[in-house]
Amino acid sequence: MTPGITLKSARRVSVFDLSQPGMGGSGITDPDFDGETLPTELAPVATRAKTGLPELSEIDVVRHFTRLSQDTFGVDLGPYPLGSCTMKYNPKRNDTLAELPGFAHVHPAQPADSMPGLWTLFHQLQNHLAAITGMDAFTLQPAAGAHGELTGLLIIRRHFESLKQNRSVILIPDSAHGTNPASAAMSGYICKIIPTTTEGTLDVGAMREMLNDDVAGLMMTNPSTLGLFDPNIAEIAAALHENGSLLYYDGANLNALMGLVRPGDMGFDVIHINTHKTLSTPHGGGGPGAGPCGVKAFLEPYLPIPVITQDDDGEIKAQFDRPLSVGRMKSYFGHVTILIKAYCYILSNGAEGLRTVSENAVLSANYIQSSLADLLPPVFQQRCMHECLLSGGDLDVDPFDFVKRLIDFGVHPPTLVGAGCVHFSDDYDAAMLIEPTETESLAVLDDMIAQFRKVAREVELARYMIETAPHTTDVAKIITDEPAFLSMLEADKPSSAKTS
Amino acid sequence: MSPLPGYNVLREQDRSHMLDKIGVDSIDHLLDFIPTDLRLQNPLDLPDPMSEWQLTRHLKELAAQNENTDSHVCFLGGSVYDHHVPEVVNYIASRGEFLTAYTPYQPEISQGLLRVLSDFQLVVGRLFDIPVVNCSVYDGATALAESAWMAISASSIHRLIVSDNIWPEHLAVLQVYMANRKVEIELIGHDAHSGKIDQADLDIALQQPAAAVIAQSPNCFGIVEDLKEVIHNAHQHEALAVIGCYPTSLGIIEAPGTHGADIVYAEGQSLGLSLAAGGPTMGMIGTRESLTDYLPGRLVGETKDIKGESALALIKQEREQHVRRDKATSHICSNQALMALRSLVYLSLMGENGLRRVATLSAQKAHHLCAELERIPGISRSYQGPFFNEFCLDLTVNTATLLDKLRQQGFHAGINCSANNKDAQQRILIAVTETQSLATLDHFATAFAQTIDQIS
Repeated sequence: MTPGITLKSARRVSVFDLSQPGMGGSGITDPDFDGETLPTELAPVATRAKTGLPELSEIDVVRHFTRLSQDTFGVDLGPYPLGSCTMKYNPKRNDTLAELPGFAHVHPAQPADSMPGLWTLFHQLQNHLAAITGMDAFTLQPAAGAHGELTGLLIIRRHFESLKQNRSVILIPDSAHGTNPASAAMSGYICKIIPTTTEGTLDVGAMREMLNDDVAGLMMTNPSTLGLFDPNIAEIAAALHENGSLLYYDGANLNALMGLVRPGDMGFDVIHINTHKTLSTPHGGGGPGAGPCGVKAFLEPYLPIPVITQDDDGEIKAQFDRPLSVGRMKSYFGHVTILIKAYCYILSNGAEGLRTVSENAVLSANYIQSSLADLLPPVFQQRCMHECLLSGGDLDVDPFDFVKRLIDFGVHPPTLVGAGCVHFSDDYDAAMLIEPTETESLAVLDDMIAQFRKVAREVELARYMIETAPHTTDVAKIITDEPAFLSMLEADKPSSAKTS
Repeated sequence: MSPLPGYNVLREQDRSHMLDKIGVDSIDHLLDFIPTDLRLQNPLDLPDPMSEWQLTRHLKELAAQNENTDSHVCFLGGSVYDHHVPEVVNYIASRGEFLTAYTPYQPEISQGLLRVLSDFQLVVGRLFDIPVVNCSVYDGATALAESAWMAISASSIHRLIVSDNIWPEHLAVLQVYMANRKVEIELIGHDAHSGKIDQADLDIALQQPAAAVIAQSPNCFGIVEDLKEVIHNAHQHEALAVIGCYPTSLGIIEAPGTHGADIVYAEGQSLGLSLAAGGPTMGMIGTRESLTDYLPGRLVGETKDIKGESALALIKQEREQHVRRDKATSHICSNQALMALRSLVYLSLMGENGLRRVATLSAQKAHHLCAELERIPGISRSYQGPFFNEFCLDLTVNTATLLDKLRQQGFHAGINCSANNKDAQQRILIAVTETQSLATLDHFATAFAQTIDQIS
């Protein structure tokens, strides 16, 4: 491989292909130390002769990774209506402000009183999140949504331990994100699954039958991953609380509710927020996110350490002496620079801005649903929240193929069964979950709708084009039953892995 | 006409048109399936929205209140370090294509990102000298917890033997992750002279079956462990060896995989990530091929497209939460993909020679500083084992007072370890990276000596 002239298909090139002996590490020099002679007492244990790292020039690194970026689709390139992932515009100013030296160059082991600006920001952000959600106290420590779930569930455990109650079951709707049951299992709970009614809401009757002394809580996403607001939420909350159980809110779909409804007012006791969804922090190709966890006042003593809180004398401090705390969820304080971006987003919007965000998110999803109803009828015959679940059952083509063709027209595919972070039961196996978000203009929404229609017309006119899509990408369609080989060292043996 | 609030893009005429299409006459009507008594009656209690220039001023004011490595010379370590971050890393990681992408569930439009993650697996595999590496977890502490659970799942033994000289925060997170999973954690001690794992203690602990022996090198005193011996001992008793490492040190120190570690985990911050007050950093996990199915998180592999051409995709998703739910290897969904990108760019820039030089310079400077400080009366090395770039000193003065006085002179001089160790009353942990000059080190040593003299 000749570095520098691989103009196309950087995806085929690994950094090892671009390696040329003697390249790399330029500028790693010091006038007073040779960078070669090992300290005498370290030498006997510093015996590594070779790491096998690739050796590239700086310009080859820049070109290679720039090309790879060009073979990656982000929100900056086009609409990304991936249901339940809230792929909205990520404001550029927030990226810059989070990297100010006074944030990015702070060592976390500095004396606590050497970073008052950071504590102020944390405290303000906690207050703003409490205002948005109707909760009383927040921890910003969790690294992502699933980590927020684990934190919240451990808080629920601590609560029942302090009441000397032994409750071992968490109830979870069948439509829940896969992280819910996985987090419940990690916190030592047994999961029991509540069915969904034909109207798409939680089966309250079935839930009531499952309530007993063993139920610690119910994890719920409202609006659900089916894009529907559950109107029985007050009844559900009352039934749980009457049973002595707690209600957990999965905040993955909070983008539908800001300024309209607050989880705290619906009766939820513990929640997490995905800042990389609702609060616009970039998803980075799979993280880092942040998953702040909020609680009602009676659960505040159990928050993970350190708790950032204001003393009676007005000073904001990181408190470690918290005997009832669940402990520490990760090193240090949380994903600080991500949290700064969330803070900036809230301050740029204000109350009216955030309410408009949620109104427009709901309006856009319903507009898509209405505009495509003749072609892709809604799975549930009712208005949706911020995302719409449409049925591809009448299409006479596999929905998997259908959405791949959208790629050729510049639209990221919506969420399908088994194709993302959402779990659908088998009843919806031809469904697609479309979340346009509030940051696409009417012109873009209309264009997206037109692309869906264009693909639908092809079912009769050029079916082959759908079945073999996409055609505009450097690779062709990738299907699930091809054998796959894990990228690993010495991968001489075929692994039995399949793409899925 | 006033501008649209925040980042909203629907004008009033757009909203009217859309409401018409839906067949409702107002937003309130659109939302009428939400019970009225749940609807918020008042605006959210938030500050007035800020313009970009107001926001910038506000954030700059907050940032200006924080001491940082520009205002103070940083000798703090403890799993994250003030190594140099090349500007190329910042440049590539700020490209919007990478920054604003989701997890690559659609491989046809994510080949660039998938190549990054695939190469990350391969390059880190070489660094750790272990075949299989996942696409990252949250941080070093959660990497340890996930690694421990892998060992428990693979062995069905709910007992861990853990060296007491791993990072205290890592141990704290491990305890939280294992608390409700019926796991016994047995701590073993360290040798008071060398600072290394007490092999006799380990031998005793290994008399009972264990899923794994967990050790870290360099350990929390900065001392390089005799990994070969520890791993051999674990294997003799059919326990897996789960080894924590400091990736930069692997430029010169033999990789845990070379010594036969079954699972290697690390805090990856030193590979081109900023300090960022401790987050986001990155957790790294590598393992032997036979333990692949126990790995948490994403894995990338090579497959074929329908034309028979090679292509990359997420594979082995049957381990993951969105498929396996409560039986998944972990709950992790979002991980640290952008940090994996940063570290891959970093390691590509450094290469064979660069990482070796970063590691050697860090060690040379740390050993120079340590020698200078050891000449000060009343100061002694806490342990005699070989250290990489971080070392413990026992003091005869109050550590907090010393740190405070040095801070006033522009130094974040080290981490105060006096409170949580059994071996000494007054102790400081000092880390040095390649970024400190000889003049700075000597200036610091002089300040250190003078300050001790003042407060003795």
